[in-house]
Amino acid sequence: MKVSFFETVRYRAPQALPSEWPVPSGAYDRDAGAEAYRGMIERLEYVEELGFDWVSVSEHHYSPRILSPAPMLSAAFIAARLKKITIALLGPIVPQSNPVRVAEELAMLDTLAQGRLVVGLLRGTTNEYLTYDLNPAEARERTDEGMELILKAWTEPQPFGWQGRHFQYRTVSIWPRPLQQPHPPTYALGTSREAGEFAARHHLGYGVSYGPFEVMAKATRYYREQCARYGWEPAPEQIVYRANMVLAETDDEAHATLRAQPNQAPFAMRAGVRDAFMKLDARNIAGEARAPIVSGALPTTFVGSPDTIVEQVRRCRDVVGAGVIDLSLHPPGSAELEPLMRSLELFGKKVLPRIRGM
Amino acid sequence: MRAPGLFSDGYVEADGFRIRYLEAGDGAPLVHLHGAGGPRLTPAHDLLSRHFRVVLFEMPGFGQSPENLRTTSMPELASTMAQAIGNLGLDTFNLMGTSFGGKTALWLALQAPERVRALVLEAPAAIRQEGAASPAGSPEEIALRLYAHPERLGAILLPDAATRAKTQPLVQRLRGPDRDADLEGRLSGLATPTLVLFGTLDRVIAPAMGRIYKETMPNCHLVFVYDAAHAISTDRPEAFADVVADFLDRHEAFVISRTPTVIHP
Repeated sequence: MKVSFFETVRYRAPQALPSEWPVPSGAYDRDAGAEAYRGMIERLEYVEELGFDWVSVSEHHYSPRILSPAPMLSAAFIAARLKKITIALLGPIVPQSNPVRVAEELAMLDTLAQGRLVVGLLRGTTNEYLTYDLNPAEARERTDEGMELILKAWTEPQPFGWQGRHFQYRTVSIWPRPLQQPHPPTYALGTSREAGEFAARHHLGYGVSYGPFEVMAKATRYYREQCARYGWEPAPEQIVYRANMVLAETDDEAHATLRAQPNQAPFAMRAGVRDAFMKLDARNIAGEARAPIVSGALPTTFVGSPDTIVEQVRRCRDVVGAGVIDLSLHPPGSAELEPLMRSLELFGKKVLPRIRGM
Repeated sequence: MRAPGLFSDGYVEADGFRIRYLEAGDGAPLVHLHGAGGPRLTPAHDLLSRHFRVVLFEMPGFGQSPENLRTTSMPELASTMAQAIGNLGLDTFNLMGTSFGGKTALWLALQAPERVRALVLEAPAAIRQEGAASPAGSPEEIALRLYAHPERLGAILLPDAATRAKTQPLVQRLRGPDRDADLEGRLSGLATPTLVLFGTLDRVIAPAMGRIYKETMPNCHLVFVYDAAHAISTDRPEAFADVVADFLDRHEAFVISRTPTVIHP
């Protein structure tokens, strides 16, 4: 089992912030922002020392919750400061990006990081449709086409034009190309049938997040079936499962910590917008329709003492088939660093050595 | 005056053959040489006939024409077609070739470079991956492999058994080796502005073959048509016709965007 630390760049607000997304930019505190980025590097040095395989970063906008609207910058900064750990960029929100630019930046990043890059490509969370005015009805198609174009830009040696549905370029020829060949290990992220099929067709890895093991297993099973249809079998580390983990010395303490967390969506939108998205944002798990995640806290699927967590990780491997777990060790919804550092230490000393060989 | 989209047929004599053609539209002439399945009008022909005088030939031995036992090589077929085009009064013209017809078009351009203003090669079959198996399966299965979006076609049109029996020996005789050293050697000297198109889902000829034209020919441009298979102009006719018309209009300057992005004045 490989282990990844999900770096969420927590911002400790000096005063209470409105909970609605987008969070007013005027409420931003510059000193708190500077501290968040400083803290990130200190924390990640410790994460590297503990022996984590990856550190992952993601793209979120207009919120203090994950202070990383430009994950390429986060990844480049981390790559410059840390020498060994693999940087997992999970991932650029493809439908709202210029896919050629994404291909260029990732190739550059892979080269700057001396081949320590792993990439996840995804459609993005529902709220992000508002960030750059993306039509939810087009998001899936733009994601699929954008991912295909990124792969083509990485691998096609001659300048080429792209006559797409949503993207058009008359000449593409990126420099640098990725250091890793043919390209960095790449995952299509998301539970949808489309993501699973795309990953299988292009021999990519696959990643799911947060949901209960049995539910995520539907998606990873579908992915494996598609891989078989295309005549190949993914390696264990080609399935990533991202999750919240609340770890404490005892099960009781961990559950008490989890109970104390507010049941609030990470990017809570006002009711009228949320309700409109319930109708407009079509999501599915391996083809089975599911509602977009616009209300309520994300589930926490790893909770307990080190012994309990080790067993949960084993179940995750057996049920989901994951060979990489990407963990948010913050108590969900909390920006406090003290509990994070405690669970990080506990994880590094009492869990990591025991799941390594799984 | 030839109205766009309303194709009428005619015949022209050339090289001892009576050759049928379909024609529509006004403007600069655009001659199209079809693939191994014979001539087939697609929505792309309609779209292109709004800008060009589109002439789709039925090459001898294909479609409704009698069996062709005479033509022995692709250069020979190209020479016949060059005569047919000339006998229609077309001295210079744009030339488009699809798959098998892409190879005919290349030979024609090599034989008469001064007559061809620009070349468009739709999923050309002149360079094929070596050792790849020939398409196998029932005629329906082989036909379905050509499309990523057969729903855009309505019904799959299969040539009847008699037409297939008539055409197949001709195709086998003329298609040549997967890598034709003689042809490829000549391509490096062909300066004609050339647009090579491959669908990203082509299951007949690997889209990666496209780069070999680009590497070999001095004025060649490669475009991938997303979500199209071998029959690009059926799968995504609007996308196909748009880039083809722009290329024929501006040649290599087609890389410069003219698409306005102003949202409101």
